[in-house]
Amino acid sequence: MKLNIVKYVFIQAFSSLSRNIWLTTASILTVMLALTLLGSSILFLANTAYVAETFESQIEIAAFLEEGLSDEEITQVRNQIARLPGVAEIKLTTPEEALAELQRSMGTTTLLEDLGGVNPLPAKFTVMATDAHLVKNLAVQIGNIDGVAKIRYGQGFFEKLIGFTDWLRWIGLIVVALFSFASLLLIAMNIKTNVNFKENEIQIMRLVGASNAFIRWPFIIEGLLLGLFGALIAIAIISFSYNSLLDYIINSLSFLPIVTDSDFIQQVLLMMLGYGMGIGILASVISLSRFLRN
Amino acid sequence: MIKLRHVSKIYPNGARALFNVNIEIEKGEFVFLVGPSGAGKSTLIKLLYREEIATRGQVIIDQINLMRLKPRQIPLLRRKMGIIFQDFKLLPKKTVFENVAFAQQVLGKGKKEITENTLKTLELVGLARKKDCYPLELSGGEQQRVCIARALVNKPSLLIADEPTGNLDVDTAQEIMEIIDKINKMGTTVVMATHALHIVENMKKRVIRIEEGKIVADSKEGAFIN
Repeated sequence: MKLNIVKYVFIQAFSSLSRNIWLTTASILTVMLALTLLGSSILFLANTAYVAETFESQIEIAAFLEEGLSDEEITQVRNQIARLPGVAEIKLTTPEEALAELQRSMGTTTLLEDLGGVNPLPAKFTVMATDAHLVKNLAVQIGNIDGVAKIRYGQGFFEKLIGFTDWLRWIGLIVVALFSFASLLLIAMNIKTNVNFKENEIQIMRLVGASNAFIRWPFIIEGLLLGLFGALIAIAIISFSYNSLLDYIINSLSFLPIVTDSDFIQQVLLMMLGYGMGIGILASVISLSRFLRN
Repeated sequence: MIKLRHVSKIYPNGARALFNVNIEIEKGEFVFLVGPSGAGKSTLIKLLYREEIATRGQVIIDQINLMRLKPRQIPLLRRKMGIIFQDFKLLPKKTVFENVAFAQQVLGKGKKEITENTLKTLELVGLARKKDCYPLELSGGEQQRVCIARALVNKPSLLIADEPTGNLDVDTAQEIMEIIDKINKMGTTVVMATHALHIVENMKKRVIRIEEGKIVADSKEGAFIN
């Protein structure tokens, strides 16, 4: 008896889907679009976070020293830095070395003379942290040491990157929300059309005592299938393109960090599936709520 | 079987359809509801299958108080009754057999049981030979017989009919009445709203006359005189 009902429900749902092929296609495509956008936004954000983290872990702090410090004072500063927790490596660059480096990068040998014989560059300690998370704190502590004039680390870049991803998160959220809403509307419209089409049938079903659940199920399955099909196409698109991207980056741009954690990617794909089916069911429930009330 | 106690029905727009109606119908009875159009016959019929709910009073069918029925319990009530209408309400794209089978399908019955019941019921209304026809290929009387078969196929204990002969000529109407009478003699309670007085006079059954929402006469078998 149960099996008859399940069979009936699925036959009804599939025949509804095929009745209105254009509306069905449009519904599936919008779900697909919404989910492709959702999936790619999540993967993009995960990757920017990953890039930031990877680069951050390689970060150096440059501590520029005040002018005119004696060798002894410089050694004292070095010792104070070395005592700070989280310092992995300290390297001193003297003003002469700094100047030579600058000359090399500018392709000139007469820089000192051009500047009137006075080297304006200060001595600098390059400090590597043991852990990316310690960098900011460490930089502040180094800045407080007597003899250190100025510190610099990648703060600007990371602030920009994080600002950018925040901004992107909002844009992504809005675009995904818009497309989700469009999918919701289209699926609801699709189901409403089929409800209207079957008005007589539904009326008879109610008169002979079919339960409301029985009348609703085919429509709910229909919505679920629309969401499911859209999600499956989106999942195929995302996993294919992400795998291609992965191959390309690993083979040709190996210095670029990229998320390869397959558990995480699987979770994103599963989430897309759930989201698609959820939209479908929600749309059915919305379009059915106004009828079958009593 | 059916008890209406002090039933009034006022529609949301203020129209008073029924006023303090009291009726008691025994199991196996055959009752006509007569009266001019707009007297409240259809409203009374709708109260019985819980399409409408009374504003005041109590409607009790088979010991179920319809006033207290929850929406999700309505289907269970309707499975106890078969309902037929003036306009048949058949599905034009389904054959006679499929139309009758559909009423069982939606209750989740098995294929073998459905086929057996459908053929038996079509036999009862004399349509076994036309089981593969579509409704529009049938005469009005035949369509109404399909409708009756559909109402009966789930073996209800109560048959409710709202002007079932309204669209039919006199002879065909008589045929339909013979079928309904046969069903009643098999034990099914029948409540039928009609304004076809010739039918009522021929059948010699209990007649309840409604005018302006009130019962003005309730006469036992054969006593109905206009």
